[in-house]
Amino acid sequence: MCVWCDQYAGGYERWYFNPANYARRLYKIRKEAAEALGAEANPQEAGGMAIIGREFLEARERNDYEAMERMKREAEQMAWGTHFGQVITLDEALKVTDIIYPISLLTCACRRSIAGLPDEENFTCMGMGPGMYKWERWPDTYRGGVHFLTPDEAKEVLTKLNKRGLVHSIYTFGTPYLAGLCNCDYPDCAGIRTVVDFGVRGLWRGHYVAKVDPELCNGCAACVARCQFRALSFAPTRNKAYIDQLQCFGCGLCATECDQEAITLVERASLPSLANVW
Amino acid sequence: MLATITVDDEKCNDPLSCRKCLLICPTHVLGLGTDVGPQKFRETDPSHFILRGVRFDKCTGCMDCVEACPQNAIQVSF
Repeated sequence: MCVWCDQYAGGYERWYFNPANYARRLYKIRKEAAEALGAEANPQEAGGMAIIGREFLEARERNDYEAMERMKREAEQMAWGTHFGQVITLDEALKVTDIIYPISLLTCACRRSIAGLPDEENFTCMGMGPGMYKWERWPDTYRGGVHFLTPDEAKEVLTKLNKRGLVHSIYTFGTPYLAGLCNCDYPDCAGIRTVVDFGVRGLWRGHYVAKVDPELCNGCAACVARCQFRALSFAPTRNKAYIDQLQCFGCGLCATECDQEAITLVERASLPSLANVW
Repeated sequence: MLATITVDDEKCNDPLSCRKCLLICPTHVLGLGTDVGPQKFRETDPSHFILRGVRFDKCTGCMDCVEACPQNAIQVSF
């Protein structure tokens, strides 16, 4: 269990299975200035990103590790109070669709701004909770409109996006309230990019770690293209996929791709070295 | 947390032939070596081959090696 489960699971197996973390007034009558961090943070502001900027890159260029660490920690503290995410598996995401309402499909802000994706191809973001009702008030945030889904429709979308190769993650909007069910990939998703490229934990590892069964792996390497976190490589010497379990975020995309069912997800908590690696 | 890996050399009697732990470890932590240096003009006798934990940074504590060893020669603790 991660620190968020310790604090917010409320008896449920994981914090994102606790219905209380989806029950919040995710709208404001008037957009005020940014408020205190935490549960009462302005959810509109809480959706903002770009917490690692040029200053960090310049520190990196001159090898100013102290400044880099300081900026990383500052960015993390701010993110953890307002807007950060955690990777979940497809099965966990499917479970979540049964406890949230309403569920909506919208366009992804990251992909619009970074990849320039037109709206018709950009419906990869799923919003959860009453915050979705305010979308008409902020048409730019929800460009392309919002489509409300039944739990079954949401499961279909998630399964389709998993097949496409997108990582499922849940995001807070004013921690611990969860409103984003994202389908991410590197490099366009800001969460994945900042954790993979800079080690800033705006996105936490999930509760699982992937493992290859060498007896079942037939060396087809189909899984290797799936990893968005640089944890999977192919070892020609053994003709097997190799998973760097320290790096693995436990999204399960490799497992869902393997024809031989050679990859399984094991509980992070069962591996002593990884139990506290998030 | 770094793992402490102990191999009982009495029980691990022919690692050069067996190699089961090396084949099962998902992160390639263990290593096969000898307890004598390289010897000129002759192969090292199989009885001098030993198995040790090497790449502790990669040991996750999955215990697959402990279970795979037919002689129960490996112990892993944290």
